[in-house]
Amino acid sequence: MWGYVRLELTRTLRDGGYVIFAVVMPVVMYVIFTNLGLAPGDRHDAAIYVMVSMAAYGALGGAFNNGSGIAEDRATGWLRQLRLTPLTPVQVVTGKVLTGVVGVVPSIAAVLLAGVLVNHVTLPPQRWLAIIVLLWAGTVPFSLLGLGNGYRLSGQTAAVANVATMLTLSIVGGLWIPAETFPSWLRAIADWTPSNSYAGLSWRVAFGDAPTLRQAAILVAWLLVFAAYAMYGYRRAGRRA
Amino acid sequence: MDTDIPDPTGSPAVSLTTTTKSFGPVRAVDGLTLTVPRGQTLALLGPNGAGKSTAIALLLGLIPPDSGQAALFGLAPERAVRRGRVGAMTQEGGLVQRVTVRELLSFVSGTYPAPLPLDEVVALARIGDLLGRRVDRLSGGQAQRVRFAMAVCGDPDLVVLDEPTAALDVEARREFWTGLRGLADQGKTILFSTHYLEEADEQADRIVVLGHGRVIADGTSAEIKRAAALTTVRVTVDGDASWLATLPGVRHMEIRAGRAHLRSGDSDATVMALARAGAVRDLEVVPADLEDAFVALTSTVPATVPATVPATVPATVPATAPTTAPTGKENA
Repeated sequence: MWGYVRLELTRTLRDGGYVIFAVVMPVVMYVIFTNLGLAPGDRHDAAIYVMVSMAAYGALGGAFNNGSGIAEDRATGWLRQLRLTPLTPVQVVTGKVLTGVVGVVPSIAAVLLAGVLVNHVTLPPQRWLAIIVLLWAGTVPFSLLGLGNGYRLSGQTAAVANVATMLTLSIVGGLWIPAETFPSWLRAIADWTPSNSYAGLSWRVAFGDAPTLRQAAILVAWLLVFAAYAMYGYRRAGRRA
Repeated sequence: MDTDIPDPTGSPAVSLTTTTKSFGPVRAVDGLTLTVPRGQTLALLGPNGAGKSTAIALLLGLIPPDSGQAALFGLAPERAVRRGRVGAMTQEGGLVQRVTVRELLSFVSGTYPAPLPLDEVVALARIGDLLGRRVDRLSGGQAQRVRFAMAVCGDPDLVVLDEPTAALDVEARREFWTGLRGLADQGKTILFSTHYLEEADEQADRIVVLGHGRVIADGTSAEIKRAAALTTVRVTVDGDASWLATLPGVRHMEIRAGRAHLRSGDSDATVMALARAGAVRDLEVVPADLEDAFVALTSTVPATVPATVPATVPATVPATAPTTAPTGKENA
């Protein structure tokens, strides 16, 4: 199975769409946003706040891109070929989830590095550690949603659905523009999105607050929903493959 | 991988028992029974839509049969695949983007318990010049060689190939069969499907002809020709020659340019009768080729051929003894 994860990571890193949308774009947007002063608070606070937002945005891009890959693999017959190797279906799915988990690391690392190198963000080590772990582990629900789409929909449709979902969750979740500036009705929606809860955990930690129970609960609830959805998509795909 | 329990020894490499598979109203495989003993090279021959690919998907465990059973080496197909006993090349796709041939093959090899060394795979599939190439930038024939390499790199006991030469030109096809014969010489069981008659004729120990999802003939190429096709006996005639059609063995007669073309199921009897009648003039006896047999077997017009041809049990391959095909119910 590690051979499978390695092969999939190699493919991901050679995927131009992944590199541009999940790694390069978030860094570019981060540098532009912070230097235009679009975020609230003083300059250093803004650099921290938007750093978390853009790292989360990039991580979402990586997680959903991995899901689109599944639809592509189904279309090309690669998933069928995998069934003719000694790998078990569980190993294949686990390998793909692991690929998603590892595949978001470059997105997060690139933005955090830009925070340090370009915007001179300084945080105590334990806060760095906490936001890295939260940003990383918090991508699992989005990986599962992306995989669900990838299993359930055909190649091109899955890619479109995943990009649309990723952008909607990023914008409505307040990753591009802080949800505090939203009209109240949109703000109310944002509070229930997985993306706002996901970034919210790290926003709070970055500024020295403990994450709220509500944020954690909402993210876990979405995790369960998306896990069920991914399972449903996988079962459906299995019947056709 | 579960390699702990040995598979039932002596069980055939492939065994399909009265398997049936329908797609909507179409019955793609219809009560198919097929046993392939270990070490045999078997060609699954049939026109498009005969059920070859469905039969292969059933025996590989890619799709479950509606009824009946599939087993490889006495195990459920999935278990045999998981143990690394099987390598397969399906008809479409199966290749992956953004990796090199070398990366792809080392991955596939790595999933098998005892794979072949890469240089042996390279020699067998003649892909030495392709190792550094990206899989998604290969020509059709090159991609086909890489698929073949994927099927054999794990050193499986059974190699299943669905129309392996479909995208190959004549030269590439010849090289491909050279590689495959190398495998057969190592004692591998090989099952391939094709609609090229001469491939089945030249490459296989045994040919199974499928039509409408059933076995319609089963034997060596010589046996199939004998069972299915009619030898052509030609003599020069003048005057009314219609009596020739009543000679023993003659099933069909045509007169072209003063020559009677008699299609005979028993050419010896036909020739003897011609001799007795003193009608032997410029006699020619042309044995059937596999092409004729194939056309005869898969033809849906029952007038020119016996409606059913018994599936012969090849005496030279005793292990196929239980092969019985439901040949008595042609629905034409």
